[in-house]
Order: sequence, then structure tokens, then C-alpha cells
Amino acid sequence: MDAYGLANADAVVPGVKSGDPAAQEALYRAFEAPVYNLARRICRTTEDAEDVLQETFFEVFRSIGRYRGDGSLWGWIRTIASSKALMRLRRNKYRDTDELQDDVTPVRREDAALRMDLESALERLSETARAVVWLHDVEGYTHEEIAGMMDRTVSFSKSQLARAHSRLRRWLQEEVPA
Amino acid sequence: MTHLTMEQLLALREPGLEPGVQGWRDHATACELCRAELDRLDQRVARLRALPTLAPARNRFAEIRARAVTDRRRRRMVVVSLGGLALAATVALAVVLSPGTAAAPSPTLAEQQELEDIIGRSQSLEGAIQAYNPEQRVTDGRTAVVAATLEDRLARVDQQLQMVDMMDQSLRQHEALRLWRERVGLLNALVDVHATRARAIGF
Repeated sequence: MDAYGLANADAVVPGVKSGDPAAQEALYRAFEAPVYNLARRICRTTEDAEDVLQETFFEVFRSIGRYRGDGSLWGWIRTIASSKALMRLRRNKYRDTDELQDDVTPVRREDAALRMDLESALERLSETARAVVWLHDVEGYTHEEIAGMMDRTVSFSKSQLARAHSRLRRWLQEEVPA
Repeated sequence: MTHLTMEQLLALREPGLEPGVQGWRDHATACELCRAELDRLDQRVARLRALPTLAPARNRFAEIRARAVTDRRRRRMVVVSLGGLALAATVALAVVLSPGTAAAPSPTLAEQQELEDIIGRSQSLEGAIQAYNPEQRVTDGRTAVVAATLEDRLARVDQQLQMVDMMDQSLRQHEALRLWRERVGLLNALVDVHATRARAIGF
């Protein structure tokens, strides 16, 4: 069951296929927030997330003819959005000559003593680790799917997730649940 | 007693049963510390899923729509260009090289050469535009509108080029040259648009 959906998808999708602006806008309105949220949780900046949002919907409008309706519409759009967000990470790494770093984003020394909230801790993870955490734990992708999207191995995805959770646990200084 | 690693705890949350997982599950059932760690993990994932949905600061639909329209037009233009432009180039050369009537002025060698050069220039500019891969780029609304306007004008020039052979012999030569010059001018402008945009976004 999808968390997001479009009640009248059967009417909207044919309109998008024919280039109808009202149908395109309806589709955009229905999925703008989840696409942006996914992009923003993975990407480093709001600008990158907004570019991913634009690239995703451009691709959706362009390729809607390939959507056969056999899977969920959100599942199809989410795959495009994930792929665009990961492409953006790869491009930024090349641009910054910042090789795939497994380490964390640098942080001021005094922060280490503070208990972080979950948003800050997530933000502090490396882009790759954050992407794996979000795609696996929140979006529900398997390690095999993440490995495919990232052009990495399943072991890479699993170890990124384990290291990320170890760090999150430490930074959040979690108590034993009651 | 060795406690479960994070990787082993995460494996317990995966569907299916990997080798060794049953042993880890038995351990987690018996070990209070590992069971507590597994609960923490479950709670952390639940909190991640409960994070608020972030929304973009502004509506980007107009820009996306403008880009989609430009893309549709460009793809149509490419189809027209592949057939129409080849025909137009052939017609243009044939027009210049065909023997004129007694009253019509013959094309000069310089005009023939200029037409051949300008058609070659047009083809290389089209290659330069494709090299910028405009369909795969993020384009702001303003750039999309400028590019769409230039492409509309190019489409009109291409239509006119296909009509050149219906003109009077005395007009054809000059008209073909004029239209090909205009085409090259528009293509140059389009290259500038894509080059400026590519520089602005840094790749």
C-alpha cells in the first residue's frame, strides 16, 4: 500500500501522456512533496533537492508513456526520484573531487558533547550513508535494489547502513527503551 | 559472551533467513542487552519514518512545464530536421546548381561555395547543440522560454527552406542563401543559450 497516491490516477495519467497541462499539474501537486522530501533527505542542499525535483518531474512527463500501470504510480515516480538524487550525489562528488567518503561530515568539537536530535544526526552522516539509511529504512528499498541504484555491492549497502546506525546511536545517546 | 554487532541486529530486521540469522535470533531472545539494542534500532527506524515531510519553498511547476513543452517541440523539430533539412539542403544546392532560364542570372561560384559552407556550418552547430545535451539538463524557466522562441523561429525557417524550390528561379538563389544564413544565426544564438546555461551551473 502506498503512502502517497492520486485518487483519480486513471483519469490523470492519460492526460499527462497527451501533454495536457492540467493533468501534468495534478500529477505534480500530488507527488511534489514526497519527491522533494526524498530528494532533500538525500541531497546536501535545498538547491540540489529542488533541481532533483525538477529533473524528476521532467523525466516523469517525458517518460510517462513507459508507465504501464502494473505497479503503483508512486513506486514508479519514486524510483525516478531516487535515481536522480543519487545521480546528483555522484555529480557533486566528482565536482568537489570528494571521493566516496565513508566518514562523517566534519563537525565542531563542542558538538560532540551535545546530544543531537534525529534531524541533526541524520544531516551529519555522509551523503552516501544518509542515502542508504533513507532509501532502506524509510522508503523501503532492499539492499539489492540500493546496490543496483548506487552501482555498488549489496555488502557495501549493508555495511553503510550498519555504520550509519552505529553512529546515529552514539550521537543520539539513546536510552534503553522502557 | 559476545553480543550481536549492528550488522547482525540489522539482519534480524530483514525479510528471509540468511545463514546464521536463526542463531542470532536465538541469541537476541536470550540476551537482554541485545534485545534492548534491537528495540532501540526498531524505535530509531520508527522515528526516521515519522520525521516531517519537507516541502519545497516555491512551486516549480511552471518551469518544469516550460521545459517539458520545449522538449516536446525539440523532439518534433529533430524529426522534421532529419527528413526536412536533408531535403532542404539538397534542394538548395540543386537550385543553385540548376541551369537557369535565359533571363535568370546564373549562380556564381562564390555563391555556390558560400551555400555549401553555410550548410556545413549549420550541421556543425546542430552537433554542438546536441553535445550540450539540452534534454538532460536542468533549465530555468527563462532559459527554456528563450530556447523555445529560437526553436520556433528555426522551425519557421526550415519550413521556408522547403518552399524555396517553388520560387521563381531569379529569387531562389538569394532566398536560399538568405534563409541558410538566418538558420546559422539562430543556431549560433541557441548554442550561446546552452553554453551560458552550462557555464552557470558549472558543467
